[in-house]
Amino acid sequence: MTAATLPLAQREGFQAPGVEIFQWPDIVHIEVAGIDLSINRVVLQMFVVVLLVWGLFYLGFRRPKLVPSGLQNVMESIVDFIRNQIVLEVIGRDGLRFLPYLTTLFVFVFLGNLGGVIPPVFFPLNGRMALPAVMAVCSLLLFISVGVSQQGLFTYFKNALFPPGMPKAIYLLLTPIELVSTFIVRPVTLAIRLLANMIAGHLILSVFFVATGYMLTSMNISTLFGLGALIFSVALIAFELFVAGLQAYVFTILSAVYIAGAMEPEH
Amino acid sequence: MSDSGPSGPPREPPGRGSEMVWSILGTLVAGVLAWGGIGWLLDRWLGTRYLVALGILVGMAGAFYLIIKRYGSG
Repeated sequence: MTAATLPLAQREGFQAPGVEIFQWPDIVHIEVAGIDLSINRVVLQMFVVVLLVWGLFYLGFRRPKLVPSGLQNVMESIVDFIRNQIVLEVIGRDGLRFLPYLTTLFVFVFLGNLGGVIPPVFFPLNGRMALPAVMAVCSLLLFISVGVSQQGLFTYFKNALFPPGMPKAIYLLLTPIELVSTFIVRPVTLAIRLLANMIAGHLILSVFFVATGYMLTSMNISTLFGLGALIFSVALIAFELFVAGLQAYVFTILSAVYIAGAMEPEH
Repeated sequence: MSDSGPSGPPREPPGRGSEMVWSILGTLVAGVLAWGGIGWLLDRWLGTRYLVALGILVGMAGAFYLIIKRYGSG
């Protein structure tokens, strides 16, 4: 329904934000050999988050004390959390050498997501496909190389593509499924789960905030609803904060599950 | 779950809870994609139209077989 078909709508009407809130103009246009390497706001935000991750770990563990305090305390509890809740729980002691990767992954994804609720940033880095895709490919390459180095090239792919304990003839049916499931569906779902959650969260927050502002400034009965929406938006921010942490956790734990699966053949 | 620390009891095999659900969903999707894709390619190649549907069914059957073999108890 357009504004013209609504006789009572005096103003231009409420314009809900759409996909354009995910598109940012180039700040610096760079093109190398036909590849677009332009820097826009999302790329800048990515640089900031990378520096932030590096800085947090550097400052947290620069002068470690036996009794941690301040930033060291925070960073140690993050490392402890990944160590106890993800690495030891999912992979076991052998998995401790992946603790640095998984911890960095968790902190990077979380801080990237956090941009969605932090003023004045208000954009989740993982709401664009590039980062989730690259991180999913990193996890894919990592678990393949873990499998190859633990079990040997041939054994790993044999175990991955021909699940043991099945009748021989059924492999004709199952091997294409295993190939797609392990090497395509895994990284794709890993990336899309994070991306879709961040897109949905950002859209909900944007629509909600724009609508709240619209109602509050409309100076009629809607203003009252706007006040209610303002209160509810605080709850939405808290919810998005929860989703930011949860999705970082899910991304990390699934990477760990895939690594664990590559370390020992299926039984 | 809380007592399976470094020196806890032998850990459970990976693939409990939500990880198992994701794995099952992934297998189902992969079954449909793999055999549906093969059927689609054969359709294009042979000029038929029913092989993609057949492929999806075969893929689902295969995925169910795999899931039951892998996660079915007993």
